[in-house]
Amino acid sequence: MNSRWFWHGVYALVLLALALAIYAASRTVDYTWRWDRVPDYIVAYEDVDLRSTLTGIVEISDGQVDIIGTQDAAATETFGDLDEVLVEDGDYVFDGDVIGTRSGWRIGPLTWGLVVTLQLSILALLFAVPIGLLAGLGRVSTNPAARNLAATYVELIRGTPLLVQIFIFYFFVGTVLSLSRMTAGVAALAVFTGAYIAEIVRAGIESIPKGQMEAARSLGMSYGQAMRHVILPQAMRRTLPPMAGQLINLIKDSSLVSVIAITDLTKAGREVVNSTFSPFEVWFTVAAMYLVLTAGLSLLIRRFELRLARSDG
Amino acid sequence: MSAGVEIRNVSKQFGNGVQALDDVSLSVAAGEVLCIVGPSGSGKSTLLRTVNRLETVTAGDVLLDGESIHTAGRQLNALRQKAGMVFQQFNLFPHLTVLDNITLAPLKVRGESMTTVKPRAQSLLDRVGLGDRGNSFPSQLSGGQQQRVAIARALAMQPDVMLFDEPTSALDPEMVGGVLDVMKDLASEGMTMLVVTHEMGFARAVADRVVFMESGRIEHIAEPENFFEPASGSRLDLFLGQVLR
Ligand SMILES: Nc1ncnc2c1ncn2[C@@H]1O[C@H](COP(=O)(O)OP(=O)(O)OP(=O)(O)O)[C@@H](O)[C@H]1O
Ligand SMILES: [Mg+2]
Repeated sequence: MNSRWFWHGVYALVLLALALAIYAASRTVDYTWRWDRVPDYIVAYEDVDLRSTLTGIVEISDGQVDIIGTQDAAATETFGDLDEVLVEDGDYVFDGDVIGTRSGWRIGPLTWGLVVTLQLSILALLFAVPIGLLAGLGRVSTNPAARNLAATYVELIRGTPLLVQIFIFYFFVGTVLSLSRMTAGVAALAVFTGAYIAEIVRAGIESIPKGQMEAARSLGMSYGQAMRHVILPQAMRRTLPPMAGQLINLIKDSSLVSVIAITDLTKAGREVVNSTFSPFEVWFTVAAMYLVLTAGLSLLIRRFELRLARSDG
Repeated sequence: MSAGVEIRNVSKQFGNGVQALDDVSLSVAAGEVLCIVGPSGSGKSTLLRTVNRLETVTAGDVLLDGESIHTAGRQLNALRQKAGMVFQQFNLFPHLTVLDNITLAPLKVRGESMTTVKPRAQSLLDRVGLGDRGNSFPSQLSGGQQQRVAIARALAMQPDVMLFDEPTSALDPEMVGGVLDVMKDLASEGMTMLVVTHEMGFARAVADRVVFMESGRIEHIAEPENFFEPASGSRLDLFLGQVLR
């Protein structure tokens, strides 16, 4: 017991030493850490200006501001719940003038980036799973056309860098089919991930003993029926954990679509660096945000796997 | 209910060059019980598997109830339903309960309704002595029980012929009797049966004829009373000497 705590202590010490080393390293390059700037880019509590859309006369009654149009008295505009009123009763205001401010929570660009990253990943996964399933089935098919097509797809995708695929999807496929950035990005990620899922599906199917297919066929099932009712239900159970791992990879891989100007977490990070000149803090923060996402997911998956293992009769 | 099997000049050469069957011909009458014995690698399993085309043939054909198995196109799946198969390793579907194992093919292949299939599945389970285990999963059953479920599963498709490939070889000795009893019952009801087995006692008691295979050929075929009294010094004599000890 004691020695266990000792090694936990060693672990903590090493981490601390690493942190100190990073700090010391940053001192040598004469860098001023400004962590206080970062939170605003995650969520900010700030004042929002509210502007008139009319030209007219201001009327104020118990904190509520009404603008009565001068060209058309029927046109009025009402501002309630203002935290600060910047006009006075009887003022003449023009279209676009600031009437007051309201303060509130605003989601910062890094959080938006995180949301876009999640959106991209989930959308891409939604398409990647059927693509992968189809290609995986093709891989184990006895039909040479299906088998070779699936193999070609998997080899092409796994043999080229994702970054290059994204460029091809954006500049070539995207131009030909006039896809939006987001569509091209999702498509590139889906096609990329589909190839890996195909291999997961193939391995899952091949892990099922041959006797299962034979038993199903001997009962008169067609190949498709045997796949659907006997092989795939068993294979899917085994592919769930690696499939979940693939989702985590996808989240990380999605950072590459920032090169085609999709404002995901990575692109948001770059933009924030440009406006704060605090690259160290921002990139550490971005890394931490990815980590929260992926670590949270793998925790969920671990739980799910445990439940699956328990229900395995 | 029962139908015959006719194996006509079947040869089988595997991709690796192994000649597993060499011009085998054999006629099994409706209601006949045929046991197949022989040393390991003699082609017993391969022969049995050509009957429902789990194995293709290089030459020859098999007629099931008069219909060609190896030239069948789309109707192969329908033909296969006429031949139930029981495997050495049971091959139950582990993700389904016992009852679902039995009802799956009737429901999905024949499109029967649960109301007709379920009573039939239950009576089959009763018949193999597992009437109370319908909701168990295969992994919760002993090997002998699993094999009896596998027999019930095959019977649920109401086959004309039953193929058994060493159905008791993977079982603990104390489990063998129960499975053999179910098979004896089936034989006495007039089911056509092709049984690959090492259970000489079963072959002697139940078989109408016994086949001895060696090197992909039928070396000898006879009624049990003659089969188990071979000419001394013959290959069959040596084989029986080994398996009977
Ligand atoms: N899928 C296959 N590919 C290549 N060779 C095979 C295949 N299946 C069987 N064989 C070969 O064919 C021959 C006959 O095999 P088979 O399984 O029919 O023998 P068996 O009589 O059933 O033997 P056992 O008593 O061991 O089950 C053997 O030499 C075997 O190695
Ligand atoms: Mg065999």
